[in-house]
Amino acid sequence: MEAKVLDSWVLAEFATPDALVDATRQMREKGFLGMDTYSPYPLHGGSEALGLPPSRVPFIALGGGLTGLVTALAMQTWMNTVDYPLNIGGRPLLSLPAWVPITFELSVLFAAFGIFFGLLGLSRLPQPYHPAFESEEFRSASTHGFWLSVPHPTGQDAADVKNQLTALGATHVTVVSGENA
Amino acid sequence: MTAMERYTGTPKLMVPAFGLGVVGLVLTAVGFFMNPQATSFSYLLGFTYWVGISVAALIMLAIFHTAKAKWLIVLRRAMETMAVAVPIFAVLFLAFIPMMKHLYPWVDGSPLAANIHGIEVEHLAHKKHGYLNLTFFAVRQVIYFAVWIFVSQRLYGWSTKQDDAGGLDLTVKQRRFSPGALPFLALTVTFASFDWMMSLTPLWQSTIFGVYYFAGSFLAAFCVLTVATVNAQGKDLYGSLVTPAHFHNLGKLIFAFTAFWAYIAFSQFLLVWIANIPEEAPWYGLRMFGSWRSMSIALFFLHFVLPFFTLLSRSLKVQPRKLAVVAVYMLLIHAVDLYWLIWPAYSGEAGPTFHWTLITAWVGVGGISVGYALFRARGRYTLPVKDPYIAESLRYVQP
Repeated sequence: MEAKVLDSWVLAEFATPDALVDATRQMREKGFLGMDTYSPYPLHGGSEALGLPPSRVPFIALGGGLTGLVTALAMQTWMNTVDYPLNIGGRPLLSLPAWVPITFELSVLFAAFGIFFGLLGLSRLPQPYHPAFESEEFRSASTHGFWLSVPHPTGQDAADVKNQLTALGATHVTVVSGENA
Repeated sequence: MTAMERYTGTPKLMVPAFGLGVVGLVLTAVGFFMNPQATSFSYLLGFTYWVGISVAALIMLAIFHTAKAKWLIVLRRAMETMAVAVPIFAVLFLAFIPMMKHLYPWVDGSPLAANIHGIEVEHLAHKKHGYLNLTFFAVRQVIYFAVWIFVSQRLYGWSTKQDDAGGLDLTVKQRRFSPGALPFLALTVTFASFDWMMSLTPLWQSTIFGVYYFAGSFLAAFCVLTVATVNAQGKDLYGSLVTPAHFHNLGKLIFAFTAFWAYIAFSQFLLVWIANIPEEAPWYGLRMFGSWRSMSIALFFLHFVLPFFTLLSRSLKVQPRKLAVVAVYMLLIHAVDLYWLIWPAYSGEAGPTFHWTLITAWVGVGGISVGYALFRARGRYTLPVKDPYIAESLRYVQP
């Protein structure tokens, strides 16, 4: 059996969203990297406090949209002009206006796919297990708690990080370890 | 930072606007005696351009009240000012009295385009006489302007009254009144566009035409709002309170209506193209083939493709100056769009010709209406200072 690599996080719960955002910003300014926030509802200012780079989802969506555009034009031209030419009301076999509705729909569809699957992919979802779930208190993240996770080298003493988080107003601090998928 | 005071109506802006307007209209009047028909079409373009912006601002205002939008409140007075300028267009509309017979083939009851389709078509024209006659036309214009003036003055009156009185009840009044006004506004704009522009070619009809007109007008209204907001910097002006988050929303709305315009324009075209029936097809036939062809294709690229891909950029939308450049461009291309809509009825196969009154009429109507809007804004605050939600609007962030 090969040795498993364990990752660890210091988890800290805060009472209010403002306290969480504030603590996140201050921890980032101290130089902590790879942090993440957890809250029962979308957190205003959360991504700014984490210093996340601009999302790449829009570009995936644009790529999806353009793929849909090309696919639809090529598909219709192939089907209606080349493979099985249909004379509809004496119009030219290559009638672009008639292609437009399908092209529009397929662009929208593929752009939506781009957004949906792009977001899943970038967030590495679905993720049925995460070591943070080892903490029983962490369940409050889906009801009323506002949590911050700070990566921490496994096996080292986390007292310093814990103290810093408590100083920033954390009501509960714990360390979790586990195999990150 | 000093407290916000009432707008004192800088003569720096209002006087030149009125000046340009008067000069433009006088020149247009001269043009009318030289070439009555071309000038009438030019004036129609200038008129529909500016009244469209004013009425679109009014509809948008009613929509925002209906949706109980809070982010917009810092920009709302500017929008109300655009909408409250509507009465001046009722005055400017009187110029159509001598122009009617130069614009609309149905005025003198002559057989409409009988030489194109023959007897069948004359019969159709006869059927339309019940709608397209001068008396009913005049009655409809009175209704349109009555509705627009009533709604705009009412909303503006309540909003400015709140500047002194404060409180929630005036907000409630505006929010209750607006949804009731919307159906009337939508119908009047639709029929106004039928009367003013669609009846230039009396045998042609398209039920979506009204939406086409106000899609373009909405776009132009948001562009005017953007340009005004970028320039409203300085003492007692609201511009400095507007954040990139507000501009982001304006940018998104301009973007959305660029796409909406294209969607509607294509919807109208597709139905006519697919059906291909004799009384509808010539309207597009004229624009699709021959001398108008290149302009129609250019309009598709310049009014849709180019601004669509430009406005995809998020960083552009949060930079007021850059967004204003796009807005000015869209305002110009909106004029081209109306030209494409109106002018073929005048020049026909001769293609996109130019007449100097196109400029003077556009500047004339624009100068007078902008001047009048600024005149109405004098002595008011440039934002609804006592709106209960103004603080929420000021600290608006993108969700």
